[in-house]
Amino acid sequence: MTQLFSRRTSRALRAALLILPVLIGAVAAGLYFYTRSDQAWNVGVAAPQPIPFRHDIHAGSLGLDCRYCHSSVETAASAGMPSAQTCMTCHSQVWSGVATLEPLRTSLALDAPLEWTSVHKLPDHAFFHHGIHVSKGVACETCHGRVDQMSETVKTETLSMGWCLECHRDPGPELSAPEAVFSMGDATQQAAGLPEDMLRLHDVLVDNLTDCSTCHR
Amino acid sequence: MNKYDAYRTDFAALTGQQGPRLWRSLEELADTPEMRRFIEAEFPYINEARTDRRTFLRLMGASLAMAGLTACGDPTVAPLYSQPRGNWADALGQASTFASLLDLDGYGRGVLVETRNGRPVKIEGNPLHPASLGATDVFAQAELLSLYDPDRSQGAFYNGKDVDDRAAPRVLAEARAAFAPGGEGVRILTGPVTSPTLRALISAMQREYPAARAHEYSPIADDNSRAGAVLAFGRPVQAVHDFSRADVILTLGADPFGDMEGHVRHARDFADRRRAAHSGGMLPRLYAAESTPSLSGARADHRAVLRPAEIGFFARAVASRLGVVQDGPSDVHPMVETAAADLSRAGSNALVVVGREQPAALHALAYAINAALGASGTTSRYIEPLTAAETGHMASLAALAEDMAAGAVSQLLIIGGNPAYDAPADLDFADLIRRVPVSIHLGLYRDETAAAARWHLPRKHALESWGDGRAFEGTAGIRQPVATPLFDAFSDEEALALFLGADTHDGNDIVRTYWRDALGAADFEQSWTAILADGVVPNSAAPALDVSLQPDWDQQLPSEALPGLTVLFAPDPSVWDGRYANNGWLQELPRPLTKIVWDNAALIAPATAETLGLKTGDIASFNAGGRSLLAPIRLMPGHALETVTMPLGYGRRAAGRIGTGVGFNAYALRTSHAPWIATGVEVVRTGEAHALVTTQDHHGMEGRDIVRIVAPDQAVETPSTEPQPSFYPDYAYEGHAWGMTIDLDTCLGCNACVIACQAENNVPIVGRDEVARGREMHWLRIDRYHAGDVEDPDTYFQPVPCMHCEKAPCEVVCPVNATVHSSEGLNEMVYNRCIGTRTCSNNCPYKVRRFNWFDYSPPDPEPRNPDVSVRPRGVMEKCTYCVQRISAARIDAKLEGRRIGEELMTACQQACPTRAITFGDINDPASAVSRLKASPRNYALLGELDTRPRTTYLARVANPADPEGSG
Repeated sequence: MTQLFSRRTSRALRAALLILPVLIGAVAAGLYFYTRSDQAWNVGVAAPQPIPFRHDIHAGSLGLDCRYCHSSVETAASAGMPSAQTCMTCHSQVWSGVATLEPLRTSLALDAPLEWTSVHKLPDHAFFHHGIHVSKGVACETCHGRVDQMSETVKTETLSMGWCLECHRDPGPELSAPEAVFSMGDATQQAAGLPEDMLRLHDVLVDNLTDCSTCHR
Repeated sequence: MNKYDAYRTDFAALTGQQGPRLWRSLEELADTPEMRRFIEAEFPYINEARTDRRTFLRLMGASLAMAGLTACGDPTVAPLYSQPRGNWADALGQASTFASLLDLDGYGRGVLVETRNGRPVKIEGNPLHPASLGATDVFAQAELLSLYDPDRSQGAFYNGKDVDDRAAPRVLAEARAAFAPGGEGVRILTGPVTSPTLRALISAMQREYPAARAHEYSPIADDNSRAGAVLAFGRPVQAVHDFSRADVILTLGADPFGDMEGHVRHARDFADRRRAAHSGGMLPRLYAAESTPSLSGARADHRAVLRPAEIGFFARAVASRLGVVQDGPSDVHPMVETAAADLSRAGSNALVVVGREQPAALHALAYAINAALGASGTTSRYIEPLTAAETGHMASLAALAEDMAAGAVSQLLIIGGNPAYDAPADLDFADLIRRVPVSIHLGLYRDETAAAARWHLPRKHALESWGDGRAFEGTAGIRQPVATPLFDAFSDEEALALFLGADTHDGNDIVRTYWRDALGAADFEQSWTAILADGVVPNSAAPALDVSLQPDWDQQLPSEALPGLTVLFAPDPSVWDGRYANNGWLQELPRPLTKIVWDNAALIAPATAETLGLKTGDIASFNAGGRSLLAPIRLMPGHALETVTMPLGYGRRAAGRIGTGVGFNAYALRTSHAPWIATGVEVVRTGEAHALVTTQDHHGMEGRDIVRIVAPDQAVETPSTEPQPSFYPDYAYEGHAWGMTIDLDTCLGCNACVIACQAENNVPIVGRDEVARGREMHWLRIDRYHAGDVEDPDTYFQPVPCMHCEKAPCEVVCPVNATVHSSEGLNEMVYNRCIGTRTCSNNCPYKVRRFNWFDYSPPDPEPRNPDVSVRPRGVMEKCTYCVQRISAARIDAKLEGRRIGEELMTACQQACPTRAITFGDINDPASAVSRLKASPRNYALLGELDTRPRTTYLARVANPADPEGSG
């Protein structure tokens, strides 16, 4: 009886048996690292905006407080977006005629909202509340990075579930003193206390921070 | 064999059988093999063909109702909006709550409407409003879905053809231009009007056009009580009952907790009285004499099942025992003696309540009994009628019909209502409307009346318009709009102002102007703002009138029943008079006593059905006065013999995608002289059958000791207080530990909690065929049990949400850890992990888990509750103890630096008219829920399984009269 498989076929088969696990492992590893990479989460990628708004000028050079525009950040789930009127507080005097601010004037004239593109959008099944994070000492910078140095707003963290959980499991090291929450790059203030002190200072109960229903309802 | 055979049974199989102590249906009592199989299957009919594509799409459309109003953008781009003006940032996504008013047949119930980004998302009761006190009924909850109903009328039409959107002002102005001098031939038809503003507009019309007439009609009106007052007191007055002071209550065909105006308040007062009695004092005792089982009858301590004609004799017998009348019949019913003795003992704290179906003479007799007991002024008081004072609603419509038939009506404006469908059949109202030269219908839907009228104009929903109205006891409330009108439409007041050519036809101006005149201009702005914030005009309750029984009051003797069957008409607990027929939440809400969904059925006593050779699901032909009607029947334990109850409001021909063609139209047998009770009805078997769909046997708990009943001051027997050893881990709770109690003593089974849960938690409707397969999605169901004799069983209700077990059987069997225990003791469901094995549901002894067999969720769920995930296909879901509310309360408490207090309420708890549901922190010994869990009446459902449920029940207290008569 002749061999069912030629010698070459058998060799190929043996090679395949060796190579296949390696390949599968490589693909799995690749996927593992890709899903954790900044690229997969659009970190550092700017989105097209109707007005080329620059945080580095407003929050950086001019030193506007975050809360001047994002006024509900301390009380509400959403940090809030400034109304066109808020922008016009200054821009009716400063740069009042420039073409880039045309969408702003149109918004007021037509009484229609101005549509920005969110770069920090969470999925619908994750429920995030700005107010509670800010009040417990999570500084703006901790999640949003040095916004005061950004000419275009981009993500500096992945905002993945794993990233959220790192802090929810052990929030102490990430918390800032209350007076440093809204400041940028104030390393001394932010590292002022020991993690345990920070937890006590902000009265943080770690037990339920990793309950599923803390973020998913 | 037909798959629905499990629902049908022969009465013969039941006789002489010793059933289990509690039974949910005649089928279960008979214990047929089909029934066994149905109960034992976790997911009955799992292998059957799916819903066909067209039904599915239709239902999708219905569930989409609340979604279709937003633009669908590119899902990859998430917009952030900068509003043009004002500091909207604060309000963005934040809940804003407004006080408003919703009416049912004219009577206002105060509500608080929560809005997000300008869209109403949830309706709650207004604690300041006397008809609500913070609770709601099913209709108030469901108005939210009606607001977003895509079948609502979106534009005017003329003779059935669409016309220019802005036609309404022109149409109304042209009609006015053609008015005859003095307004001869001008008629306005409204629903019952309690609104002071609308009434002022109608009076203004009558001053300007003396010959014009205004008519009020509703198919569910309390004309007989008004007529009874004329017999007894010589003038029409309206009775207001105060259950907070009633020790002994006798209802005569009445359902004060179910469908009487003020029912939410009545239920609350009655429950408060019972609760107070549990900590010492006298338990109120309720006697019910009725033909059709009702919610009040189910709660009664004693219940007499009487034919409609016998109720009059029963009342007369009671009256004669109390010395109100001289000659009373004897041997009517054994309950006469006990009830009369008890009423007499209670004296001024007794109360006799009569149903709207009963003849005027019986109402008069009840007024006389209440007067003789000294109850006038304590448990009932009398006020000026709030609606149709002069004539009564049926007579008002009949007079209009007569004029229309005589050709004396040239312009007819129908504001709201749907008389072409719900007027009595003998008036042939649709045909009369067609004979009027100019008929204009203002309606929420393009319904039967819209089709008959020459012009149809779209009407604003109550949540979109300004208005006002009075509660059942006269307190005025203001209805303020909580949403921008979705379509170009008019409110009742605006349309009437346009029709009459008033100076202003802006709803806000009309209502404000009325109240500025009524309240006086001084400080008006300030008081108006306060009134709008509260929703209630302070101190506006109607003053009690000093009426006394006329010495020669007209004692009409009750008449003997005619041979043949008697038909009773009743408002439906879900669609009322038909106005909610297109509301999917209400259609899929199991009717409290029958548990039928998406249908109505002629209810009949099992014994009578047997004589007629009928069984549940058989279609019979009912013939009376030359009219006939085909209707499926359902055997109803505890129903009066030789009597059939027909729920109104079905068989709509132009309701919309949900309501058209559902059920049979009982108005076809109704006449204007006998609108409630039709006698001498002939019943003929047709041999055909109709599959009625009920939920009563779904999710069975196999006849264990489920509903507990104790005597006053008696503790419930618990099998063992020692926790048994367990393989499951123990949890420590450092912070809060949430728990719930449900008081079966105050629960009336009204369904408000079920629909509140549906609204709060984005629970979809699945449609008739899916419910037939046991796939309804309600997170909270109300089990209804009977006990005892089929002729007159006791009835118990038990709401069953997820128990949040300490040792939850579902948690340990999930292969993907999708249901987990939280640090506060919640049994949490993680939708994103769930792969749909349904093992958890199989292992749940309480059968509270629901599975998404289809994707019922709308693609863009924005107008739904934005705090709750919309679940996709293939995912398990269940009660979460309203975890979104817990989170919101926790964040609020932390931001304010305090602990969560009693302000945290679940949706079911908040809606409950009797406050039967209590929720809170069981780690806090001072919380309301901890105190109730320490009650001797507290027990765990299926506690012998040692699942240690967080939700426990408080046993119902039986309070029958002592046979010795000592109370």
